Amino acid sequence: MARIVITPDLGSVVAFDGAGVRLPKRERRHGSKRKQRIRRIAGEVSREEVWFLREASFAVTPGESVAVVGHQGSGREQLLRLAAGTLIPDEGTVRRSCPVIPVMNLGGALSRGYTVRQNIYLVAGLLGMLPDEIAARLPAIAERANVQKILDKYLGDTSRAVRGRLAWSIAMATEARAFAIAGALVVGQPDFMRECWDIVEEMKADGVTFLVASDKPSELIRFCDRALLLDSGTIVAQTTVADALDRLKLIEPPKDQVHFIVEESDDDDDEDLV
Amino acid sequence: MLRLLVLRDLQTQYTKFRLGYLWTIIEPLGMAIVLWFVFSMLLGPRKLGLQPYLLFLSIAILPWWWFTKGISSMARVFQKNRGQLRVSLLPTQMWVLRVLIVTMMEFILSLPVIVVAMVLTRSWPGPLIVLFPLGIALQFILMYGLGLLISSWAVVIPDLARIVRIVMRAMFYLTPVLYSISNIPPGIRPYAALNPLVAPLGLYRVAWWPEEHESSFEFAVSLAICLIIFVIGYFTFRRLEPRILKEA
Repeated sequence: MARIVITPDLGSVVAFDGAGVRLPKRERRHGSKRKQRIRRIAGEVSREEVWFLREASFAVTPGESVAVVGHQGSGREQLLRLAAGTLIPDEGTVRRSCPVIPVMNLGGALSRGYTVRQNIYLVAGLLGMLPDEIAARLPAIAERANVQKILDKYLGDTSRAVRGRLAWSIAMATEARAFAIAGALVVGQPDFMRECWDIVEEMKADGVTFLVASDKPSELIRFCDRALLLDSGTIVAQTTVADALDRLKLIEPPKDQVHFIVEESDDDDDEDLV
Repeated sequence: MLRLLVLRDLQTQYTKFRLGYLWTIIEPLGMAIVLWFVFSMLLGPRKLGLQPYLLFLSIAILPWWWFTKGISSMARVFQKNRGQLRVSLLPTQMWVLRVLIVTMMEFILSLPVIVVAMVLTRSWPGPLIVLFPLGIALQFILMYGLGLLISSWAVVIPDLARIVRIVMRAMFYLTPVLYSISNIPPGIRPYAALNPLVAPLGLYRVAWWPEEHESSFEFAVSLAICLIIFVIGYFTFRRLEPRILKEA
């Protein structure tokens, strides 16, 4: 009962057919955990779901690079997550002919309690690589992330920049034929980011497919062949990147911004057994 | 992948404390001794369970430990692994299996407690010991089903983890851990058999007390409940899977 089904003879890499997804609407959380809990019990925090994406239909052909253009909260991230399969649509279908690697929030998957080496195994494994493949590509990943010397150090002892590099390097090492990248969400130093985009371009020349959401218009114009323009959850146009960016200026950003705050997992391990 | 996570979890468990592995033995053994003292020394004359009581207790306490530990961490599994779940392309059930296998390994590693109790009481198992692994398999299936059910509902009801904890405490006294199913008055015994844990516990114990065999009707009922729970858990999980991913 695998969640992600691959349809090899699809003809396109990813095909959305009227796909939509609704998520619980979350207000910005403030106050302590206790306060949040009280507010939830008091019914002040609604658990109602809102549509983040509706009736999205499009197909991405092999080798294409598609920009997903929209304001924050317009459903960009949800669209990418649906493409990768880390979200299941509530309406319509999403099919893919090969695994689509989600390159977003990878830093959140890294675990501080693991060593760098174990983290490489962990994240690469989550992205579907087999242990043998990981072992074979480990030196390459370590070199690209520049962590050869600290492979057996705990990740908690390393800097933020190292973690960002590590996550990227692992994702690129999957050698997958398709990636869903949320560029704005990748942390890293500028020169490393530039290096990343160089690698991505190389892969593109090699026929790899990309879906990209980035807040930097220059990256999109330089890199993408065409664009999907999103306005509060609806694809309003499929056009060129430049045109999409122009028309984005005419769309007002949503007023009631919905924020996603990643909560720290609470590690209360007080177990009493009787 | 699963193997990596399981090994890593066990490693953390056993390197975190100075006594490491020994805790796996000491904890349940200590508990068995306390309960044995209370129920067989202090409350002496009224005989509960079967003799020797210390062995009778430890055989049930270890699986019980596995059960509560497993189920209560399954109730929080998706909350805890949110970061990984967000990017994981692997089947979602893997997270439940991981907890289940880790706690099962701990259970298996704690089995020497039973050997200690056997030596202390000088009682040896009969040929029905072959049913012991079957008990493990059955408990595995039961916990997998229940884990799928609880872990997915815990996403919808955030306070489920707390509720589970209370229910577990009640379950401890409602389950034949301290006593045998044959201690229950015949009139309400069929209801007691609705408890899915009755069957695996019976399979564990029957090697030492073949007379437990007489309760095979109750075991059969309990076995059926185990399987029903598995089916319900499987389908609930499938239905709630989109929800789990949304909360990630």
